[in-house]
Amino acid sequence: MPQFNLYQEEFHPSPLMHVWLEFKRSHFALIGFAVLLLFCAIAILAPLLAPYDPNIQNTNTILLPPAWEGNGSIAHLFGTDALGRDVFSRTLYGCRVTFGSSVFLVLISVFCGVALGTFAGMSKGVKSSILNHLLDSLMAIPTLLIAIIIVAILGTGLWNSMWAIVLALIPQFVHQTRNFVREEMKKDYILLDKLDGTSSPRIFWSSILPSMFELLVVQGTMALSVAIIDISALGFLNLGAQNPVVELGASLSQSLEVAYSAPWLIALPGFCIFLMVLSINIVGEGLRSALRNRLVH
Amino acid sequence: MINLLMRYVNLLVLTVSVLVIFSFSLAYLFPGDTLTNISGIVPETDAQRAALEEAFKLNSSIFAQFWHYLENLVSGNWGVSFTSQVGLFEQISIAFPASMELTIYALLVSIVVGIPLGFIGGIWHHKPFDFGVVSFSIVSYSFPVFWLALIFITIFSLQLGLLPLSGRVNLLYDVPHSSGFILWDIWQSDIPNKYDAFIDAIRHLILPTASIALVTTAIFIRFTRRAIMDEMEKGYIDAAKSRGFTTKQIFFKHGLRNALVPILPLMAMQVSTLITNAMVVETIFSWPGIGNWLIQAIYQRDYPAIRIGMLVVSVFVVTLTITIEFISRAIDPARDKFERATI
Amino acid sequence: MNPNSKSRYIKSTLLLSFSVIVMLGCSKQKTEITQAGITFCSESSPASFNPQLDTSSTTADASSHQVYDRLLEFNTENGQIEPGLASSWLVSNDSLTYTFQLRKDVAFHDTEYFTPTRFFNADDVVFSIDRWRVNSHPYHDVSGGNYPYFQSLDLKNTIKNVTRINGYRVEISLFKPDSSFLANLATDFSVILSAEYAMQLIESGSPSDLDKKPIGTGPFKFISYRKDQFIRYQRHQDYFLDTTGPENLVFDITPKSSLRVAKLITGECDAVAFPSQNDLEIIRERDDLTLLEKPGLNVGFWAFNTSKPPFDDPKVRRALALAIDKTSLLEAVYLGQATRAKSLVPSASWAHQSNMQEIGYNPITARKLLDEAGIPNDFTMNIWAMPVQRAYNPNAMKMAQLMSSYLADVGVTVNIVSYDWARFRQNLTAGMHDSVLIGWSADNGDPDNFYRPLLTCAAIPSGTNRAMWCNPEYDALIESALNTENSNERRLFYHRANQIIFNEAPLIPIAHAFQYQAVNNQIEGMLINPFGGIRFDDVVRKQ
Repeated sequence: MPQFNLYQEEFHPSPLMHVWLEFKRSHFALIGFAVLLLFCAIAILAPLLAPYDPNIQNTNTILLPPAWEGNGSIAHLFGTDALGRDVFSRTLYGCRVTFGSSVFLVLISVFCGVALGTFAGMSKGVKSSILNHLLDSLMAIPTLLIAIIIVAILGTGLWNSMWAIVLALIPQFVHQTRNFVREEMKKDYILLDKLDGTSSPRIFWSSILPSMFELLVVQGTMALSVAIIDISALGFLNLGAQNPVVELGASLSQSLEVAYSAPWLIALPGFCIFLMVLSINIVGEGLRSALRNRLVH
Repeated sequence: MINLLMRYVNLLVLTVSVLVIFSFSLAYLFPGDTLTNISGIVPETDAQRAALEEAFKLNSSIFAQFWHYLENLVSGNWGVSFTSQVGLFEQISIAFPASMELTIYALLVSIVVGIPLGFIGGIWHHKPFDFGVVSFSIVSYSFPVFWLALIFITIFSLQLGLLPLSGRVNLLYDVPHSSGFILWDIWQSDIPNKYDAFIDAIRHLILPTASIALVTTAIFIRFTRRAIMDEMEKGYIDAAKSRGFTTKQIFFKHGLRNALVPILPLMAMQVSTLITNAMVVETIFSWPGIGNWLIQAIYQRDYPAIRIGMLVVSVFVVTLTITIEFISRAIDPARDKFERATI
Repeated sequence: MNPNSKSRYIKSTLLLSFSVIVMLGCSKQKTEITQAGITFCSESSPASFNPQLDTSSTTADASSHQVYDRLLEFNTENGQIEPGLASSWLVSNDSLTYTFQLRKDVAFHDTEYFTPTRFFNADDVVFSIDRWRVNSHPYHDVSGGNYPYFQSLDLKNTIKNVTRINGYRVEISLFKPDSSFLANLATDFSVILSAEYAMQLIESGSPSDLDKKPIGTGPFKFISYRKDQFIRYQRHQDYFLDTTGPENLVFDITPKSSLRVAKLITGECDAVAFPSQNDLEIIRERDDLTLLEKPGLNVGFWAFNTSKPPFDDPKVRRALALAIDKTSLLEAVYLGQATRAKSLVPSASWAHQSNMQEIGYNPITARKLLDEAGIPNDFTMNIWAMPVQRAYNPNAMKMAQLMSSYLADVGVTVNIVSYDWARFRQNLTAGMHDSVLIGWSADNGDPDNFYRPLLTCAAIPSGTNRAMWCNPEYDALIESALNTENSNERRLFYHRANQIIFNEAPLIPIAHAFQYQAVNNQIEGMLINPFGGIRFDDVVRKQ
């Protein structure tokens, strides 16, 4: 039954809604989003989903091939590794550690970066200029390189490599925030706030931060994909997560010694990292074009 | 211009001194004996210890020590590696060119492949070909470089048996070390079977170069594509169109140049990403470069080597960045100071 | 250029680059240089190029049979002692004086850093032996002054004198008869150095170069070495024997065993040391590769640092041993390619005791013993896992991981420690470990070669006694065994020693394993040398 509309009221979606509407027009972006949600679910639910403890060694079943191969067993969906540990459980836990720690460290860097960036953006003078200059040259160094150097100094381990990546990611958030705050501070609505006598923190909280939110999300997804690659690369180089922490990059490098007899041990963790990063990049790309389109329309 | 130069020199000096001071303080911050951390030698007798302390001025004030440290750095007297007792300067002068070689070839490959693809994508944007290019670049950009290298090895070395998987050249060719760039060294050496060695070195280069070039190619595609798209939307293009120029004419006379000039420095900046990826991939291909070397040093807790390796790599990257920034600003003063690579 | 021609251009570029790749790929056939040389992928960097200074087989592999010769040699087939640099020898009736007649016209290597002016003669023999034997010898303290093999056998106090009779005759007199003396002169460690080179180095003020840039009489001369990368050798043209060895020999140092096998498959290595157990099947299945195997005279074990509390308490050691299920270690690490070790010597030796009891797997008793010894429930210890593969332990890291999960069951937390091989052994000798997974390969067939270096007091400073365990009763038994001629009586002494090892548990024997080497079928003449380092003097590449 056709709906009768008395008032020719136009539908005005909120800006966020608008972005979502633009975003879901792309099927790829939606699929990427779904995969990303799947990884979130795995990260949270891994202990419930995993059929085995990822560190239980069973020397009776060493290097079982995955279930879909001839002599695989359904008891071990993805087979077992050289110590007889269940690869499916290890992959789930690995996703949890790699993905979870990446999300965690990106959140920390966003927080620190925004705090520092706001400070830099709202202040003027020598301290701001020195900070900006140093940050500029720091930003040019790839995060992984900074992370390798920091791990070299702090020593190996998951926590150390997380701190290293946080430190390496902060400059870009500082940079973005600082520029954004600078630009915003010049705008009229801030001037209005100022004339009303609003304090600086309040200007930041109620005026600047809301308009910066989208920027941070886009920047955050980019940082997330970088963080995942970095943390797994450190794991792969044996600089990051150490036994018994199960991390995808570290599992990959541990499997190298059986690479020829058990290629699936190389394929699976690598593919998980790849898929994770790919879905994040697709979502990030979708978000960016959605934002761009919203501004255009 | 002078003003600009001074500002960048200032920045360079500031950053490099921060790094040098930091590396100096690491000798104190690292666990263990400061003397060993700075010299790489474990003194066996008290007399030797005293001699070393004298040589490194450890008994003098901290400023005298630092000054001495600086002198040693500049004169190439970098101490010895803790594990192998070989001079660090000597080791780095072998390892660093090896990484640079990989980086440079990968940069060339990325330019040769990335710019034309991004260019076509940019002109025909939102057409099927562009769609293919964009998908390719997103997928390539998402590859963890170490996994990609392993896939290449599995396919091209182990399954097909086409390419070697480790080292720079078959070790039976005894290539004398001069510049550290293997192709150049072979070219101007007088070893027998020079031609065969050259081909062999190229075959060794293919897989590592391809592994690190893929990500950078993806980045270049996106830079170029976006730059071309933005340029083609500009007013002057419309103006030219309205005067009856064909798209081709406009594009090759004006658009291309205007689009490419601002992104070239951004691409040069990718050298630092390439070096980092090269460092990771080196460990897989047993490439005797700085990454392999530094990571071995980390495993061995070889503090003198870590300290110097970190200093060399970071000073190189920072110097490179600041130089590129200066050049691009000098050429194009109107460029936004804060323009950065986003992809 | 229109877009159409552009895409054609791209297509042709792609085609071109693809064909270049294929061309390069197909140019795989051997060239002159690669045809005349052999690449051996070794597992680790040698500590030096003088096997006198080190018992590690890596050092022996890299130098003993390549750069040097010995007075006597073992026949690789049957283990008989054969002439080496000594063409003949005479033993006096009281077995105290040995006279060696030396070969003439044996040339030392002529290299970029040394040009010999004379042939090998008695001076070189006296120099080589006196270097480790005489404390006041000018070279004794060069490169650390530690000669572990000779120290662990206490040969210093066996030899009374080494005298030069004339240019080609040397006499060695002993304090007491030693039935294994000739065998010791034939081991990898008793190499003959150049006295002339040594004197020249003293003059130039760099004596330690003697062990870094070696000069010997062997079939290959040393060209260059880069740590963790390669060692290059060239054929010694004036070698005193007729050999068929390759023109160039390269040791490609590849620590990862899987990578070594991968390089063997791609043809980058012609032969590899210690292929990974996981890859043995693959090598057997491939037509272009051959797997050489031989039961090894070796033992892999877990040694406790008995000089460090709480590991000085036999009860703690026994408890920790009880916590480990050896069967699963044998399955997972050796993949069944080893026999279970109950004592030090393998069944191939006449001294093997087949009815020896061993410490079984019983975590409950283990925990009880730990409680009795006052070890708390959150006790942390370290297991040092050697970073290289050895026949007696192909993957110590994996074994340590398995063990740590067993020890976790009895409330012991394990840190696994590993360093670069040279530093690993340095730190072991310094006694920095709690416990270590390591082992021993025999240098000759005598059981004394197991019992003495592994557990006697004299072997602690030399660094072969990894348990740092000193028991006078045990030492007395080993001494009596050596002085006994009758092998049945000797065996009884060793059985009593086994009982002490079982009671005290300074180390837990784990396995006696097979020895493997994998070679490309193009290579002929490779064989596993059961009495020491690898040799290439008769290795050829088929045309």
